[in-house]
Amino acid sequence: MFAYIMEVYRTNVCICYIAQMQTLVFEVYKMNMRIQESMSMYEKLNILTDAAKYDVACTSSGTARKGDGTGMGNCERSGICHSFSADGRCISLLKILFTNECIYDCKYCINRRSNDVVRTSFTPDEICALTMEFYRRNYIEGLFLSSGILKSPDYTMELIYAALYKLRTECRFQGYIHVKAIPGADQELVRRTGFLADRMSVNLELPTAEGLKLLAPNKTRKNILTPMRLVQNRMAENKQEVALYRNAPRFVPAGQSTQMIIGATPETDYQIIQVAESLYQKFELKRVFYSAFIHVNEDKALPARTDEGPPLLREHRLYQADWLLRYYHFQASELLSEENPNFNVVFDPKCNWALKNLGQFPVEINRADYKMLLRVPGLGYKSAVRIVKARRLGVLDFPDLKKMGVVLKRAMYFITCSGKMLYPTRLEEDYITRNLLDAGERLPEEVRNMGYRQLSLFDDVRFTEDGLSWKARAGGAV
Amino acid sequence: MKKIYLCSDTITGLFSAIYDAWETGRREEECGIAFRESMEQELFCEYYETQETEKKARAVESMIKRHLGRRVYWDIYHAALSGDRRKGDAILGTMLAARQIPDSTRIMEHLSHPQVERVFELSRNVGGEAHSYKGFLRFKELENGVLYSEITPKNQVLTCLAPHFADRLPLENWMIYDKTHRMFVVHEAGKKWVLIWDEGIDRSFASRESEQELLYARLWKSFCRTIAIESRTNPKCQLSHLPLRYRGDMLEHM
Repeated sequence: MFAYIMEVYRTNVCICYIAQMQTLVFEVYKMNMRIQESMSMYEKLNILTDAAKYDVACTSSGTARKGDGTGMGNCERSGICHSFSADGRCISLLKILFTNECIYDCKYCINRRSNDVVRTSFTPDEICALTMEFYRRNYIEGLFLSSGILKSPDYTMELIYAALYKLRTECRFQGYIHVKAIPGADQELVRRTGFLADRMSVNLELPTAEGLKLLAPNKTRKNILTPMRLVQNRMAENKQEVALYRNAPRFVPAGQSTQMIIGATPETDYQIIQVAESLYQKFELKRVFYSAFIHVNEDKALPARTDEGPPLLREHRLYQADWLLRYYHFQASELLSEENPNFNVVFDPKCNWALKNLGQFPVEINRADYKMLLRVPGLGYKSAVRIVKARRLGVLDFPDLKKMGVVLKRAMYFITCSGKMLYPTRLEEDYITRNLLDAGERLPEEVRNMGYRQLSLFDDVRFTEDGLSWKARAGGAV
Repeated sequence: MKKIYLCSDTITGLFSAIYDAWETGRREEECGIAFRESMEQELFCEYYETQETEKKARAVESMIKRHLGRRVYWDIYHAALSGDRRKGDAILGTMLAARQIPDSTRIMEHLSHPQVERVFELSRNVGGEAHSYKGFLRFKELENGVLYSEITPKNQVLTCLAPHFADRLPLENWMIYDKTHRMFVVHEAGKKWVLIWDEGIDRSFASRESEQELLYARLWKSFCRTIAIESRTNPKCQLSHLPLRYRGDMLEHM
């Protein structure tokens, strides 16, 4: 905590800055007085939570920090989920917007300028009170603060900074904070905020620059990538500072992440995972989040509204592929290609890859190297580690694998133990596909419910844009 | 004849029984451990009462730490907190198996051994439940400013939770009550936490909540409702992450 103060007092400029900040806070106070006459904390929280719920990434992982005994809070590396909402997503952080007023007009966003919704803002004090009281009752793991653009990016970023500064110094809060960097805000502001937060994220919004031009006319790709690069560079510098001085203030210790909307623009899955891969490689992101497009506005630039709901299966497949990129040493080009640009609806990307590359199987559990074990369907990275350790002490057989958490009904077609397969099976794509489907491979809802129906040209599993190609591919794979 | 040592279901009791059993046998068939509360008598066994002392427990603890390492002790300790009836045999079996292999510190990697696998399973189970409760536990503020919480865990997770919350809320007075095992953990601001066995403590104080409590409880409930996206509603997914048994003590699901 002392480190934060050191950071702030480092230059004279900063002192002027704090003075400025105080007048700003006061200004917000006055503004708030006006609003508060008509709106209680309860209503405000409802409005600003409702506006924030489309943000993904309620994660609290990546930092391990002990409390210093003078305030409240600590962080656990694995993150902690405090509840799960009715949509099955984890509630870990108090996810709110600072304000839902916005000067931009992004077509997909509920808070866009041209929408007629009730607008309100928190004050830094209200955010502090809410966070502290929720945190001490163990409701939340920390704060996720995002915001609409009030007046200008700089102005908004200043408000966010003011709230975090108060929370970290006055309230001595040491829990997790995830904050959005506002594209177009002053670099110095982003840098300062980074020293108060655990994770920062800049929303990529849409996978490609063309999509962005179409749906978010006030945002540019360049504006979004600049703060991302800034955070990356500052993190690299900070690593050296920390190596030199153990107590140097930490800059965004849990790394940065981003999110993009899936299904609002016509990109293929291949394009999307290529974007994700390059973000991981070039910007060293911790996570890329995908958010299935949800219709909240009517606009001619958006895809037509259907009654099928958001493309959840597609989002799920993208997350599966994302995991393969980060933990399983896969490359985007191995999973998909120009000719084959979308994921299989029936099988997960790893299973799909294995079926297309049967030449590399079966894999001998007692000898294969770790990276090859990772590529076996039904084997996760935890069970792969357990196998590598356990086989040093003895020969492994199928019952042992089962105990280690290997999903045998999927893995059995691809592995041998001491040269033997579990059952005599054939190593043929059609044979394995048929058996996997027969064995009650949990099919996605969309595919299971297809059953017997009148055929129609638009008979598709949730995907409207490139529906026909999906359908055709699903049929082809089975 | 197999010798079975009877003890109470506490860490001190279990470790004292291991201390006694360690003297008698080198093999799993020679000795075993059972709990007084949940014992089922077997044929061809001799039963012995264990004298439970702090000294024996400490001796076993330091022996495990010295020969098997801290990580293994962590696993064994967690397994010992489990609600499983056969945990004693599993732990003893693991310790005996560790004698057989050249590097005893790597015993937990020897997962093809049934007792080791059992300890691994129990430890994972207890660790998992403790981790869940770190998130799912809810405090409420009482009239006198004390934070109070009740939980109903299957395993004795209080000693896993206490250090976490002591680090997190060092300047607060808080207490957690384990309804299943009738135990309290109590933390006074700025001091160390203590474990207390409930022997008829009057818990009527728990219903006297502070004025602010209602306000924040209401805010939190509405937050949980609002944060869900209607078009993504998925009760099955919610159920798999948040099993019903936790929900009884959770404010937003009451």
